[in-house]
Amino acid sequence: MEIFLQTLALIFLILGTLLSLIGVIGFIRLPDVYTRLHATGKVSIFGLVFLLFAAAFLNPALIWKALLLIFFVLIASPSVSHAIASAAHKAGVPLIGQRDDLKDAEKRG
Amino acid sequence: METVLDTLFWIVLFAHLVMALVAIWRIGRGENGLARLSGLDLFSTLTIATLVIISIIRKESIFIDVAIAAAALGYLSTVALAKYIAEHRMV
Repeated sequence: MEIFLQTLALIFLILGTLLSLIGVIGFIRLPDVYTRLHATGKVSIFGLVFLLFAAAFLNPALIWKALLLIFFVLIASPSVSHAIASAAHKAGVPLIGQRDDLKDAEKRG
Repeated sequence: METVLDTLFWIVLFAHLVMALVAIWRIGRGENGLARLSGLDLFSTLTIATLVIISIIRKESIFIDVAIAAAALGYLSTVALAKYIAEHRMV
């Protein structure tokens, strides 16, 4: 049982670190605020939550604190992304792509 | 298994510190205020991840409490700054 939980924790640690790495590479390489927000979402959802899974598997005493932090992150991270994207659209940061559905909807009323 | 896990903890901690440094470097090179703000959000997330790894290494649960407080602070400050920038249109 012990070795099973440790193997599970090892898998989650490697997976979380790799996904964080992908998110940070996307944060450096992508051209735009909106596309970059899509990359930073990977770091907070997959990277942090998988690390917390690994912590809970290795030390069962802190499973409730880990679940509390997972719950908070799952609520907070999308709303932070939405706040930044909405602020960028309101402040007039230009989009890279051709379509701007929000502007069209505002024009139509 | 123990030694493998111990080595892996330090590698993961080092990787997260390097990623946090990269986020700081990208904040300095951001083209407008909101790009810098998204970098700040990424940096606070990586700080929380580093605290979780330290709690795994030292086998103490107090660092998870610190991580919860840091998450709440980062969330509130990022949302407040985004609202401020949107209201005053200062990109």
